[in-house]
Amino acid sequence: MKKRVKQSISLLLCVLLVLGALTGCGSKDTKDTSKETKETTKEEAKESSTPKEPVSIKVWHDGNEAIMKTIETRVNDTLKDENITVTFEKKAGITDQMKLYGNDEANGPDMYMAAHDSLGTFAEMGILAPITDIIDTSVMADQLPMTVDAGKYKDTQYMLPIYFETLLFMYNKDLWQGEVPTTTDALYDYMVANTNADAGTYAVVNQHSTAYNVAPVINGFGGYIIDKDAKPGLNEQATKDAITYNQKFAKLEADGDYNTVTTLFNEGKAAAIIGGPWLIDGINKAGIKLGVKSLSSFTLPNGNALAPYSGVQGVGVMKYAAASKKDAIAKVLTVLAGPEVGIDLAKTANCAPANQKSYDDTTVAANEMIVAIKDTASTALPMPNIPQMSVMWGPTESLLAAVNKSGEDVNKAADKYQKEALKAISDMQ
Amino acid sequence: MGGNKIKRRIGLTLLNVVFIILCFVGMIPILYALILSVSDGNNALSSSLSLLPKKFTLHNYSAIFIEEPFVLWLKNSVILSIGTCVLAMGTSVVAAYSFSRHRYKGRKSILKLLLLLNAFPQILSMFAIFRLFKECNMLNSRVGLVIIYAGSMCIFSIWNMKGYFDTIPIEIEEASKIDGASDMKLLRKVILPLARPAIIVTAVMVLIFVWNEYLFATTFMLNDKSYTLAGGLYQLQANDYSRSWPLFSAAAILVSIPILIVFFCIQKYMVSGLTAGGVKG
Amino acid sequence: MRLKRKLVPWIYSLPAMVLIGAIIVFPILYTGFISVTNMNLFHWSNYRIIGLENYERALLKVDSGFLKAIGTTIMWTILNMILQIAIAYFIALGLNVKGLRLSRLYKTLLMFPWAMPAYVSILLWRVGIYNTEFGLLNKILTTLGIHKVNYLSENVPAFISCMVLNLWMALPFMIMMIDGALQSVDRSYYESAKLDGAGFLAQNIYITIPALKPILAPAVIMTTFTTFKQFDIVYLLTMQKGSLTGSTLQTIITYAQQNAFVSNNYGLSSAVSIVIFVFIIVFSLFTNRGIKEEV
Repeated sequence: MKKRVKQSISLLLCVLLVLGALTGCGSKDTKDTSKETKETTKEEAKESSTPKEPVSIKVWHDGNEAIMKTIETRVNDTLKDENITVTFEKKAGITDQMKLYGNDEANGPDMYMAAHDSLGTFAEMGILAPITDIIDTSVMADQLPMTVDAGKYKDTQYMLPIYFETLLFMYNKDLWQGEVPTTTDALYDYMVANTNADAGTYAVVNQHSTAYNVAPVINGFGGYIIDKDAKPGLNEQATKDAITYNQKFAKLEADGDYNTVTTLFNEGKAAAIIGGPWLIDGINKAGIKLGVKSLSSFTLPNGNALAPYSGVQGVGVMKYAAASKKDAIAKVLTVLAGPEVGIDLAKTANCAPANQKSYDDTTVAANEMIVAIKDTASTALPMPNIPQMSVMWGPTESLLAAVNKSGEDVNKAADKYQKEALKAISDMQ
Repeated sequence: MGGNKIKRRIGLTLLNVVFIILCFVGMIPILYALILSVSDGNNALSSSLSLLPKKFTLHNYSAIFIEEPFVLWLKNSVILSIGTCVLAMGTSVVAAYSFSRHRYKGRKSILKLLLLLNAFPQILSMFAIFRLFKECNMLNSRVGLVIIYAGSMCIFSIWNMKGYFDTIPIEIEEASKIDGASDMKLLRKVILPLARPAIIVTAVMVLIFVWNEYLFATTFMLNDKSYTLAGGLYQLQANDYSRSWPLFSAAAILVSIPILIVFFCIQKYMVSGLTAGGVKG
Repeated sequence: MRLKRKLVPWIYSLPAMVLIGAIIVFPILYTGFISVTNMNLFHWSNYRIIGLENYERALLKVDSGFLKAIGTTIMWTILNMILQIAIAYFIALGLNVKGLRLSRLYKTLLMFPWAMPAYVSILLWRVGIYNTEFGLLNKILTTLGIHKVNYLSENVPAFISCMVLNLWMALPFMIMMIDGALQSVDRSYYESAKLDGAGFLAQNIYITIPALKPILAPAVIMTTFTTFKQFDIVYLLTMQKGSLTGSTLQTIITYAQQNAFVSNNYGLSSAVSIVIFVFIIVFSLFTNRGIKEEV
C-alpha cells in the first residue's frame, strides 16, 4: 500500500511537471511588465547619458551569405565608434517567418533585407515603419530613381534600396560562334542551327517556365502579369502572343529547371544562358570565359527591346524597432545608402549598386556585368510590389508549364489560369 | 537429409543475391549523394553516366566541420531527440498500458478520437502552436520544441504500443498480480521486457521524426546556434539559388549516419522477450 | 478505494493527454476560431469575428478540382498502402529466414532512406533520378539509345514517379514494423504446421498473417493517415515555385495549399482546413471497420 502511494505521488509529480511546463503562461503577465519597465529605463538612460550604450541591430535575410557578410562588415566598421553592431541572420522562407515574427519585438528582427516584391505584403500587414520616419529623403538622393520607386508602396517609402539585379544574356566566349545577334529572331535562328537536344548540347538555355525569366518577353510584347490596379493579365492578347513566342524558344532550352540549365552552362553543354549575377560563382569555378550582354540589346519582332523585371534588394525597418532604436537605425540606414557599401558589393559579388555614385569607382565602372545590368535598368521594369503579386507566381508558372511542358493550347490555358489568378486575388480579402 | 541441406544452401544464396540487389537498388539515390559529396567544384551534377567522381575530394566534409557549426547542431539534435524520446515514451507507455489493460467507460471513444485528431495535418497547426508558445514565452527554447515533438508523436506511440500490449497474454500479469505486484511494477517487470520490440520500434520512430524535422526546428528556434542538423541544413541549402550540391549531399550523408549507427546497434534488442521467455499464449 | 480504482486509468493517461491537448487539440480549436474571423493581410492585427462567411467561401472551393483531388488522394492512399504492405511483408519475411547471417547489415542498409530528412531525399530524386538531362533514368535511356523522357510533365507518369519515391521513403518503416512484429510470432506454431504438412503459402495465411494482424493494425492505420496527408512529395517534386514540371497532379492538401494558403487569408484557409478535416473524418469512417476491430 505504501509503495502504491509513493508511486502515485511520483506520477503526480510527473504530471505537474508537464503541466507546469505547459502553463508557463500563468507567470507571463508579470514577466512582460518587468521587461517593459526595464526597457523604458534603458531608454531614459540612453537619452540622458552621453557615453554611447552598445546597440545591436538584427537583420533577417534570405539571400547569399557572402553578400550579407560584405554589407555587415562595412556597416560595422563604419559605426564602430558609435557602438552599433549589425548582425545579418539567414532565415529560409523569410516571408513566412516575417508573418510570424513581424510584430514580435522580443524575438523578431529589427530590420529585414529582401527583394522588393514582398514589400506590399509586409506594408499591408502593418509591420513596417516608413523609412522617411527615420531618415530624411535627402539621404536617398543619390539612389537610382528606379530603385527608389521600387521601394515605395502606396506612395510611402518603406524600403531603402541597396543593390539591384536583372536578367542578362551570359555566354561562353569559347563556344559562341560569331557575334551575338541583336534581334530575338536572329537568336532563334542561331539556336535552331546549334541545338542538339539528343546529344545534350544547347545554344541557349533559360528557365523558360519561370515567370521571372519569361517576363522580358511578356513585358516586351506589351503584355503584363499583373498591372498597378492588381488586375492579372494572363489572357491579354499581348501576354498570350509573348507566351507563344517564348514557347518556340522553350523547345530548344532543355527542361528549364534551374539546376539543369546552370549545370548545362557550367559544363560547357550550353553556349549561353539567361541568368543573373548569382550564377557567377559557379561559372568562375568552372573556368568559363564569360561574355555578358544586356537583354535590352535584343529587339523583339515588334521593335521593342526585351524588358526584364528588375529585383531591387533593400532593407525595411520593423515598426517596433523604429520606435525603440530610431537613432541607431538611422545611422545604419545612412551607411547603407552611401556609395561605399555599393562599391564593396560590386567588387565582391558583382552586384549593381543602387547608389549612382558607386559607379564613379573605376573598378565598378570597368565591371562588364555590372555595366550591363545598369544598362538594362533603362528598359527594366521593377517587379510589381503589390501584395497581389505574391499569388500571381503560381498561376503564371502553371500557365507557362502547361504550354511549354504539357503542350496545352495557349488560349485555353490562359483563360483557365487567368480565372485561377482572379480567384486567388479575391481570396486574399 | 543431404539433398535438403543443399537445397537450403542454394535457397540462402539466392536470398542473399536478392537482398544484395535490393539493397543496391534502394541505395542508388544515396550512392548518388555520396558521389556528389566527394566531387570537386559546384557543377558536380553531370550529364555523363559515371559511377566515380571525376576528382575525388573530402573537402566538402571538412568544410562542414570547419565552416558550419556542425558539432553544435549535432549536439542540439541529440539533446532534442533524447529529450523527446524520454517525454514521449514516458507519457505514452503508461497511457498505452492503461488503454490496453484497464476497462472503463469512454476508453474506446477516446482511442478513436485520438486517431481522428491525428488526421489533422500538422503543417496547419504551426500557426496556432506559435501563438500559444508566444503567450507562454516558450519560443526559442528547447523545452518548447521537445513538447511540440512529443505531443506530435504521442498519439502514434500510444496506438502503436497499445496494439502490441494487447497481444501479451493477460495470464502472465495475473500471476504476478496474485503475488501482489502493483501496476507500475507489473509494467516495469513484465510488460516492458515482453514488449521490447514494439517499444524500441516506437522509440526509433520518435527519434527519427525529431532527427529529420526541420520546419518547426527552424521556425521556433531563432538563432543559428540552436538549430538541429536537419534544420541547419535546411536553413543553409533550401534555396536552389544558393545551394552547393556537393556540400549539401555531404551534409545529408553526415546527418543520416548517426541514425544508421543507432539502427545497427538496437537490432540485437529487437528480439522479443515473449518468445525468449518461452511463454506461450 | 473504488473511486481510486476508477481514477487510476485516467491518472495514467493524463500526462499524455495534456501533451496531446496542447499540441494537437489546441491548434485544431484555434484554427476553428480563426476560421470565423476575417484575419488576412489587410486585417492582420485588427481582425474580428465575422461568423460563417469563410465557410460559405470554403465550400465554394468544393468544386470539380477539389473532387478530382480527393479522387487522386484516395487512389494514392490505397495504391501506396497495398504496395507498401505487400513489399514490406515479403522483405521482412526474407530477413527473418534462419541462417541469413547478413540480415543485420541488410536491415541497416534498407533503413537508409528513412534516415535522411524528407526534403533532402525528394531533392535528390528530383535532380538525381527524374531530371531530364542528368537524371539516372534518362542517362540509362540515352546509353541504350532511347529518347529522353520527361517523367514529371504529365499526370500519370508523375503520379507513378511520386509513388515510387513514396515507397522508397516509407518502406523502411513498414519493414521495421513487420520485422518487429514477426519476432513475436511463436516459432512452435510453424513447427507443428510443418508436421501437418503445411506449405509456405498455408503457413503465411494461417499463422503469420493472423498473428501479425493485431500488432500491425495500428501502425497500418497510422501510416494510412500519413499517406493520405502526404504533401512534401507531390509538392516538392512537381510544383515548387520556380520549378513547376507541368503535371497538374493535386492531392487534397496541395489543392488546399494552392487554393487557399498562398492567399495569406488566414480566416479563409482555416475554414478550408476545417472542411478538409471533416473530409478526412468522413474518409476514416470507411476505415472504421478496421479500427473497431482493433479497439
